[in-house]
Amino acid sequence: MSERFKEALQEFWRLNVSKIGVAFLTILVILSIYVIATYPLDFGVRYWNNPVYWADYPKSAPPSWINYFSHEKIPEHHVFSSDKPSNTSVTESGKRLMYLFKLDFQADRTPTFLSLSIKNVTYYGKPAMIRLNVTRPDGKNIELYRYTVPAPYGDESPPYRRFYDQPKRISLTGDMSVASTLARFLLREYNVTVKPSEVNSIGQHTVIFSVPKNNTQFNVLKGGYVFYIIVDTYDPRDTIGEVKLVVGGDVYGFMGTDSLGRDLSVGLLFGFPIALFIGVVTSTITTLLGAGLGIVGGYVGGKLDEVIQRTADFVNNIPLLPLLIFLAFILGQNIWIIVFLLIVFGWPTLTIIVRSMVLQLKSGQFIEAAIAIGAPRWWIMFRHIFPQVAPFVFAQLIFFTPTFILLEAALSFLGLGDPTMPTWGQILEYGFRSGGIYVGLWWWIIPPGLLIIWTAITFVLIALGMEPVVNPRLRRMK
Amino acid sequence: MGLTRTLSIRALTLITVLILVVFFIVIILGATGTSDKILQAMVNEEVMMLRQSLAKTIKDPQELEKVIEIRKQGLMEFYGLTKPWYVRLPDMAWRVLTLDLGKARTLKTFAGGNKVSDIVMERLTNTIILVTSATVISAIVGLVLGVRIATRVGGILDRISSYLSAISYAIPTWWIGIILILVFAFLLRLFPFGGLYSTPPPSDFYMKLLDILWHAALPVATLVIASVGVWIYTTRTIVLNTAQEDFVNAARAKGLPEELVRRRYIMRVAAPPILTNVILGLATSISGAILTETVFNWPGLGRLFYDAVLVMDEVVVIALTYIFTLVYVVARFLLEVLYVILDPRVRY
Repeated sequence: MSERFKEALQEFWRLNVSKIGVAFLTILVILSIYVIATYPLDFGVRYWNNPVYWADYPKSAPPSWINYFSHEKIPEHHVFSSDKPSNTSVTESGKRLMYLFKLDFQADRTPTFLSLSIKNVTYYGKPAMIRLNVTRPDGKNIELYRYTVPAPYGDESPPYRRFYDQPKRISLTGDMSVASTLARFLLREYNVTVKPSEVNSIGQHTVIFSVPKNNTQFNVLKGGYVFYIIVDTYDPRDTIGEVKLVVGGDVYGFMGTDSLGRDLSVGLLFGFPIALFIGVVTSTITTLLGAGLGIVGGYVGGKLDEVIQRTADFVNNIPLLPLLIFLAFILGQNIWIIVFLLIVFGWPTLTIIVRSMVLQLKSGQFIEAAIAIGAPRWWIMFRHIFPQVAPFVFAQLIFFTPTFILLEAALSFLGLGDPTMPTWGQILEYGFRSGGIYVGLWWWIIPPGLLIIWTAITFVLIALGMEPVVNPRLRRMK
Repeated sequence: MGLTRTLSIRALTLITVLILVVFFIVIILGATGTSDKILQAMVNEEVMMLRQSLAKTIKDPQELEKVIEIRKQGLMEFYGLTKPWYVRLPDMAWRVLTLDLGKARTLKTFAGGNKVSDIVMERLTNTIILVTSATVISAIVGLVLGVRIATRVGGILDRISSYLSAISYAIPTWWIGIILILVFAFLLRLFPFGGLYSTPPPSDFYMKLLDILWHAALPVATLVIASVGVWIYTTRTIVLNTAQEDFVNAARAKGLPEELVRRRYIMRVAAPPILTNVILGLATSISGAILTETVFNWPGLGRLFYDAVLVMDEVVVIALTYIFTLVYVVARFLLEVLYVILDPRVRY
């Protein structure tokens, strides 16, 4: 047995398609393991389908690498966040926490906005004071903003907790105090007179990231910017959960964002384990069920066989997708229901083939011998018949996997995917339904499709590699 | 066994499948309480109309309510709402079979009506046009290329086609459609994004026909791209296997012209198994049509399915599930008639 297996493996490994297939599968598995290890289980509900989480991201932004291909460099969107200060120093009144964010800005346009968020603030005595400073590439320093955490209410007792439910988000763009600061800065440093209301309409972010030519024209200032967020606390027990600085841009990350601002690379990555799970689990159960029914029907025969054959015939004779849509629609959109339905409709093809194989094996001498020494029926089916059909069944398992991946994607695309688990099909569905294809948001439409195809092709390649092993007649061809 | 006998057995099997599917649908509807909801909506509709007509004759509001209550009870009785769902299974099944499902909640016919059977039936033609033309084109291309490749096995074309058919197995049809839209409609502006014809449609008949063809180009191309690889590969393999048979060699040895050998000896034998593949692929092409219509906003049954799911119009979803099964069964039967004509062996 093991000798035979070794031989089969060698035969399989001889083909290039097998090698490519196995290499692809390895990558898929590694990515899936990475996702399972790092993503929370409720990723879909808590992050992906939660618009609040994506509020700070640019909407429908292409991936940042398009800058390599375009003449004008578009500003990249940056989200800096930190839950630990870069350094802590002791002052006479308490502790000073400093958060440092460095940005190398090389775009030809200024950022689109600037915002600061603070989360989970706890203090015991005096409320903490937060300041935001920036040092520009030309060495000029601006104190942009000052903010004091709300003081205790009348009947509140320490510790005072602030911004635990909802982070405090300060948009520097549109803020009048920032506008006045910047107007003073322009007058002092460049002797340019601009009214705060004019700064507001030019955009605070534009003024910060540029050098004025006159009071209407501003030239982008490229180079390294350093943002300092300084928090003065007045009690050693005071803590800050997280600070976040967003420098708005029109391109984002490696895969871009969708129209809700969701980082597509995060969603697409999550699709790997789901696609593999649906494909492999559904295929495994389906082939085992199909083969089992085929073996039992073929070997036992009689009424049982008749029932199995009629049922298989019936299921095989109905158009799959319309009924799947109907059932997913009536029974609800849940990943387990979808897997269950795929199994229910998937087994007959294999049952019919395996049954005909078993009918041939049944009359073999080794079966007769087993019967003669009094082996029970289940033993014969399990130990003598199953090993004979196993290679074929295993090849079918691989061969069926892409079918199920594509079917799930199709259901998702029709809006019947499990909303708690984002899949590639669902990402495409939203891109289609919200009109992404009509305005050419290619980074939203092409990658999920390519990933579906890639995953499906992986299994097709492995199935191709297994063909000569399972079907020895083909061995001559190579 | 005569020809009629063979065909009537097939017809009977397929009708049984259809009836079983309908019962399956109805059982699911009953068990989930959906059928109660649908019948209740029909009762409410009639009660509302009754109220309007009675309000003119009966002025006393209390008496009006009483009369309506009695009539409502009568209607509930009539629709079987007083009985549990499994008792009225046959009745509900008959409703699905005859498409007597009342009114759609939000979806409408092109003229604005909301009777489910009208909505479904007027779209049937559009789907048939799309699927048939795509199938005919794939078949012609597949047969011509497949036979040609079979004569040059191992050539570049052969290798390309075998890889393509393997890859096409892994590409979702609807994604091809999306890519075609992105390239030919958005980027190159050569074809429309979707729909059946321009708004407003051209008044001249020939212009209108051209307009429809222009709109059909991308969806048909999508379906052809999705299925032509499999067509070519199947044809090639079956023709190749047949060409290696002894009787073909014998025909060649007799000195028959190659053209005659190909037509009468190879193709005649290869045709039935090729057709078997078409029959097996039928369900796939129906699925392909549902998704392709959705992508291209082609006003057929598939797009209607998508819209009905989107606005949660249960009755339309039920009607469509049934109609798709019906279309499948009818198409399958037609193909099997063709099979019997092509392969005389099945008749006996």
